[in-house]
Amino acid sequence: MAVKANIDSGRWGDPYLDLSTYTADADLMELNMGPQHPSTHGVFRVVLWLDGETIVKAVPHPGYLHRGVEKLCEKLTYVQITPIVDKNDYVAPMLNEQAVNMAVEQLMGIEVPRRARWLRTLLAELQRVASHLLWLGTFGIDLGGALGGGTSLFMYCFRERELIMDLFEGLTGSRFHYNTHTVGGNRHDVPAGWAEQVKQVLTFIERHIDEYVAVLDHPIFEQRTMNVGVIDAELALGLGLTGPVLRASGVDHDLRRDAPYHAYDEIDFKVPIAHGGDCYARYEVRVAEMRESIRMARDLIDGLPEGPLVGARPIKTPVQVKIKSGQAYVALETPRGELGTYVIAGGDNRNASPYRFKIRPPSLHSVSALPWVLPGHQVSDVVAILGSLDPIMGEVDR
Amino acid sequence: MAVDDPGRSYSHPLFDTLERFPGLDLATTTADKLLNWGARNSLWIFPMATSCCGIEFMASAASRVDFDRMGSFTRATPRQADVMVVAGTITVKMAPRVKRLWDQMPEPKWCVAMGSCAISGDFYRDIYSVIPGIDTVIPVDVYVPGCPPNPEALMAGLLVLQEKIALKTAGLKTVPAGRPETAKMISPRIKRVGHPDRMPEIDAAQCAQAMSLDLTEPPDLLAAFTAAQAAAKAAREAAEAAAADAAAADEKGGEA
Repeated sequence: MAVKANIDSGRWGDPYLDLSTYTADADLMELNMGPQHPSTHGVFRVVLWLDGETIVKAVPHPGYLHRGVEKLCEKLTYVQITPIVDKNDYVAPMLNEQAVNMAVEQLMGIEVPRRARWLRTLLAELQRVASHLLWLGTFGIDLGGALGGGTSLFMYCFRERELIMDLFEGLTGSRFHYNTHTVGGNRHDVPAGWAEQVKQVLTFIERHIDEYVAVLDHPIFEQRTMNVGVIDAELALGLGLTGPVLRASGVDHDLRRDAPYHAYDEIDFKVPIAHGGDCYARYEVRVAEMRESIRMARDLIDGLPEGPLVGARPIKTPVQVKIKSGQAYVALETPRGELGTYVIAGGDNRNASPYRFKIRPPSLHSVSALPWVLPGHQVSDVVAILGSLDPIMGEVDR
Repeated sequence: MAVDDPGRSYSHPLFDTLERFPGLDLATTTADKLLNWGARNSLWIFPMATSCCGIEFMASAASRVDFDRMGSFTRATPRQADVMVVAGTITVKMAPRVKRLWDQMPEPKWCVAMGSCAISGDFYRDIYSVIPGIDTVIPVDVYVPGCPPNPEALMAGLLVLQEKIALKTAGLKTVPAGRPETAKMISPRIKRVGHPDRMPEIDAAQCAQAMSLDLTEPPDLLAAFTAAQAAAKAAREAAEAAAADAAAADEKGGEA
């Protein structure tokens, strides 16, 4: 079997290693990491078995943030779900809202007007830049001393991220959980002067991305990330990884281009990929994506078409959205990968709530790669690998 | 005598040393003021960040708002911190860990509940896995409402905490921290904690269940499940055998 051959040859780690028959060179030590650990990006626990300083087995334990979101959404009406799913992937809430509303629109057969589709694309790309900036800043903290005390990069990245938060606050009135998407379109129209502000912010960020790359063009950073946490294409596809992690393994797959939604079939963009599969390749892909998203956002704000923002008659009360039966699966490309939302209509709440609501989070699949990747690495590499996968625990545990 | 003052929240070795020298009692009040001035202007924060509020906490620590200016400083370990900022939803699985981390913090210590999940559980409050507010587990000094609160709101919360510590040092009565009332809010189907309709025994049972989790020896769920399955199978087989016997007896009776 190919999996066993890959494990035996040392290409992949063995998640099912039997420790009772394992003979250690040094002392075998069990090390608990988390659930409260500054570099686990939330509450996440990994149990590591160490042979000396080398990891021989890793077992992840998620579930410290399980909030029963899917069950909660089945009790709410379709319009009430939108602000709930904001809190799933709390680094990219815009994309969560879009996924839910697109699923409901697909079930009801509503066509979204062109202006709303372009605005959604713009918001998605701005959110992608903000999410990657947060990732880069916290990755700097994770790698710590390699980057001048660690927090320097964090401070720089958050300076730019705050500007995008300001843009969203200007549009929706909220810094964080926006609730700006609704069934059939968008709730908030672009205020006066917002487009100019977006362009200024994009220019500012684009200039400073070059600075981060210059800061990270450093031998210590390369030693900490190159050939660390290699996920090859076979393993990535086998585990269902998506997004930048998959593209860093050399697989050219992006839902924005391969299954276009919103306005992605109307604009030109490139999908950056890398072939290393290691932490450095994931860093390269994310930085290239930031640049590409900024370019796309500039095109989108220039070409934002005129017209209405809501297609069907506007939804005034939550119970106006009623679906008798049907099911829909919508997949979006979030900053972390494919976010799937599966809705079966026909709940008992007068057809106004779903019967089943399922979220396919990309972070859960990223975390599932840990037992395959960690064995063979040192303890200090765990932080780099976990950081480079960019998991969001709200999404993993739901 | 300052050392036996029941109003003081903690003891520190300086007082005990000064007490041995007659005539130096007067100095202790001054030392108390000095130490508390230092404590309230260098509140080192332990971020108990679980979810969305953790991101806004990071934004508060980052370049724009930057609570380092007030002497507040993020520490990654509870043993070096004065304030625990609980930012995010606390689940039944996480609550014992929060309690353990709180117990590891040295006195004097304070707690800030940041965001509506930490205050009351927010819309997750009737979910089976969520604790309805962190004040059911540890004492809270300042509530910062919002979902999530802006960095400016967290900053204001820390200033309120400083004020509270200052008032306590001056011997003045502090206003007890109350749960913030949300005006013009539609009453939730399940009432907030402390409401008489809320059925406090359910809250107590949920928290007791959370606190009684044994961290060292997790329950062997697989063994329990296997045993339950085996028992159910045995019962089913016994029932089938009894039915078969009854059928055979009926057939015999019919033949006879």
